[in-house]
Amino acid sequence: MADKRKEPLSEAQRQAYLDRYGLTPAEASYDILIRMIEDMFADGLKTEVEPLPETDREFGRLLDELRPLSADQLREKLIISGWLLEPYGEEQMRCQECMYYLVHKRWCDLPELDLPAKPDWWCRLWRI
Amino acid sequence: MANLLWLQGGACSGNTMSFLNAEEPSACDLVTDFGINVLWQPSLGLELGDEVKAIVEKCISGEIKLDIFVFEGTVINAPNGTGEWNRFCGRPMKDWVKELSAAADFVVAIGDCATWGGIPATAPNPSDSEGLQFLKREKGGALGAGFTAKSGLPVINIPGCPAHPDWVTQILVAVATGRAGDLTLDEFQRPRTFFSSFTQTGCTRNMHFAYKVSTTAFGQRKGCLFYDLGCRGPMTHSPCNRILWNRHSSKTRAGMPCLGCTEPEFPFYDLAPGTVFKTQTMMGVPKDMPEGVDKKGYIKLTAAAKGAAPAWAEEDIFVV
Repeated sequence: MADKRKEPLSEAQRQAYLDRYGLTPAEASYDILIRMIEDMFADGLKTEVEPLPETDREFGRLLDELRPLSADQLREKLIISGWLLEPYGEEQMRCQECMYYLVHKRWCDLPELDLPAKPDWWCRLWRI
Repeated sequence: MANLLWLQGGACSGNTMSFLNAEEPSACDLVTDFGINVLWQPSLGLELGDEVKAIVEKCISGEIKLDIFVFEGTVINAPNGTGEWNRFCGRPMKDWVKELSAAADFVVAIGDCATWGGIPATAPNPSDSEGLQFLKREKGGALGAGFTAKSGLPVINIPGCPAHPDWVTQILVAVATGRAGDLTLDEFQRPRTFFSSFTQTGCTRNMHFAYKVSTTAFGQRKGCLFYDLGCRGPMTHSPCNRILWNRHSSKTRAGMPCLGCTEPEFPFYDLAPGTVFKTQTMMGVPKDMPEGVDKKGYIKLTAAAKGAAPAWAEEDIFVV
């Protein structure tokens, strides 16, 4: 059975973005993308925080899932990466210390995500 | 005049190709300026068949004084310890190697295969390969842990895949000109003059290492290759960024992660899928830390470095 998360943006989803923001994620500026992400969580988005990828093979499998997604599939990227708008775990892991985070650009440089992020956010692809 | 004989076992000839590209000094300089008489070398020797065999036999008997015996490639023991899979001049190469090593003043192993087995000795090691005096990290190898050449030195190991040409020619010159006493060897019998510093020493990406900015894809000229792309520069002993390749570059300068080819474990993780060009981590933290750094310290350093990183560290600073 096909994984619904990997299907391209439907016309209804596209229209929903247009109605709310006037554009889709692929066309959005930094600030609008941040707003889109925060709005999704405010609307109750649950992401796949667990299981955490303990090994590089598990990590690689998540990247394989993310790679085919288009820039418009923002929601799917957030779900698969286990995105959170707060630090995670006892050690309070967060984007700020992550190897993929560009602290000045406030941007996740992992090619499979390539999204704006705030320093206190986190996802399960975190690594240092 | 110092007589040098160079043979190849389980080899790809990569170290010979590297040697022929030497510049400081060149292979020709060894002969014209430093008095090295190349008795035979697989790519340079004019002799064939019985003529080669005669040279080798005379070296063993002492009729020709063998000052330096250079070996490239693994010592092959298969099948069943006979070494018959690698015959040379009518005998298993492993037998020639033992007798020539016993006859030589100095024995020099060139490249990973000759030093500790390299790629041929990777599990499951079908050719039952080993280095002259090591099998990976374990001392022993084809000549045994206690072997010393007539000079009193054990095998001089010049690892690499291939070894840098100038490492080879500079050590040969030192030996041939009577300065072997100046050589100090590390625990893996590598000359300390080349193998005390790290590949990272002199790397142009060091500032990205310091500020924890990662290269995330091949071809990027910003970022450090250690964090994501499996670079072993911080834990590999070599002068690759001090004595440059082709006099102007190195793997890391060209955007290619160091593979750690001067260390006994090379190729790391037995080339298991997903281990090449990928930093191995456990719960997001690298399994192999820069030498001398512990996990706790690494995490603290990361937090401080990311917090202090300047904006330029996120840009491609090598713009034409």
